[in-house]
Amino acid sequence: MKVQCELCPKNCVIEPGQSGECRVRINVDGVLRTVVYGFACAEHIDPVEKKPLFHFLPGTPIYSIATVGCNLHCRNCQNWEISQANPEESRAVSRPPEKIVELARQANCLSIAYTYSDPVVFYEYTYDTAKLAREKGLRNVLVTAAYINPEPWRRLLRFVDAVNIDLKGITDDFYRTVCSATLKPVQNALVIAKASGVLVEVTNLVIPTLNDKPEQLRELVRWVKANLGADTPLHFSRFFPRYKMRHLPPTSPQTLNTARQIALSEGLNYVYIGNIAGKQGQNTYCPGCKTLLIERTGYIVVQNKLKEGCCPDCGRQIYGVWK
Amino acid sequence: MRQANLWGLEMKRREFIHKSIKAGMALVAGTCWLAKKAVPRKFVRAVPLRKYPGSVGSLPDVLEQSRWSG
Repeated sequence: MKVQCELCPKNCVIEPGQSGECRVRINVDGVLRTVVYGFACAEHIDPVEKKPLFHFLPGTPIYSIATVGCNLHCRNCQNWEISQANPEESRAVSRPPEKIVELARQANCLSIAYTYSDPVVFYEYTYDTAKLAREKGLRNVLVTAAYINPEPWRRLLRFVDAVNIDLKGITDDFYRTVCSATLKPVQNALVIAKASGVLVEVTNLVIPTLNDKPEQLRELVRWVKANLGADTPLHFSRFFPRYKMRHLPPTSPQTLNTARQIALSEGLNYVYIGNIAGKQGQNTYCPGCKTLLIERTGYIVVQNKLKEGCCPDCGRQIYGVWK
Repeated sequence: MRQANLWGLEMKRREFIHKSIKAGMALVAGTCWLAKKAVPRKFVRAVPLRKYPGSVGSLPDVLEQSRWSG
């Protein structure tokens, strides 16, 4: 008997013995099963700035896990060795939710990140771990492309504190040709996350010739401002040639600076540049009085002047989770 | 005297009742189908598979900063 997976907008109808597009949700005798539950293929303690999250507990370590699989197939994927891997060919460690929470607490991490591949495809594992982590006083972070149906998304967000959502482009054509997906469900997921009260930061990977034209960047920025608000942190990330896009050059620093200037000129308050050495576009400034609030070098917080989440000079409240 | 059924429009009472029941049933079935389509289907969790299909072993040191993006 066929089964239909209704987790993501692909709504795969899966034949017996086959998997969905994500490779990790399979039909076993008419029952939908997840093969990666409790088995992490990557497990690290990273700085939270690496996610990137710049407005969430700055300077803290975050226990980060992933499984193999992804429901998107981005031709530029930076983590394709795990996101596009078959579980049969991969190596994993047994990590039931209780163990992850225990290890995160032992390592003095304040939060757990479900990241690297995409937590959407290891949904049940993420959900159960996040629920348990919340009970034990830990925070939960998703780093995701947010290609997910509204109902499971809303359910999961109840246990989530912050998300960094990859808005890969602003045209449906880009999503279809580069990612094997569509734009609208991602935009819906972003709006739902924001409305649910979760801290939302957005990342856009700027790929030469594909989504780096000023008008495309401006359209993306305008959408973010109109639908998520001017206080939503936006990270422009540098592309490196990977996977099926090795023919393109890395994004030039100049293009990233242009993207940042466009976003600032359109009225976004917190715009950053990532995946690149140097200090420019790394710091957080008060949108009101322009005081330097958080100084960063790479993933290191050099100084944090925020007082109770507010600017020490003008008292303006800064969007974020600060303690 | 009974008039001839020139146009094939006349039917016996029994036929009329049968046709009415059939039409009613089709209407009910159609409404149910539409209602089912209109209501969003409830998401059902996938059940964990106990055995991992790949190899299970140790991973690099957790304190090593990941080489993965994100």
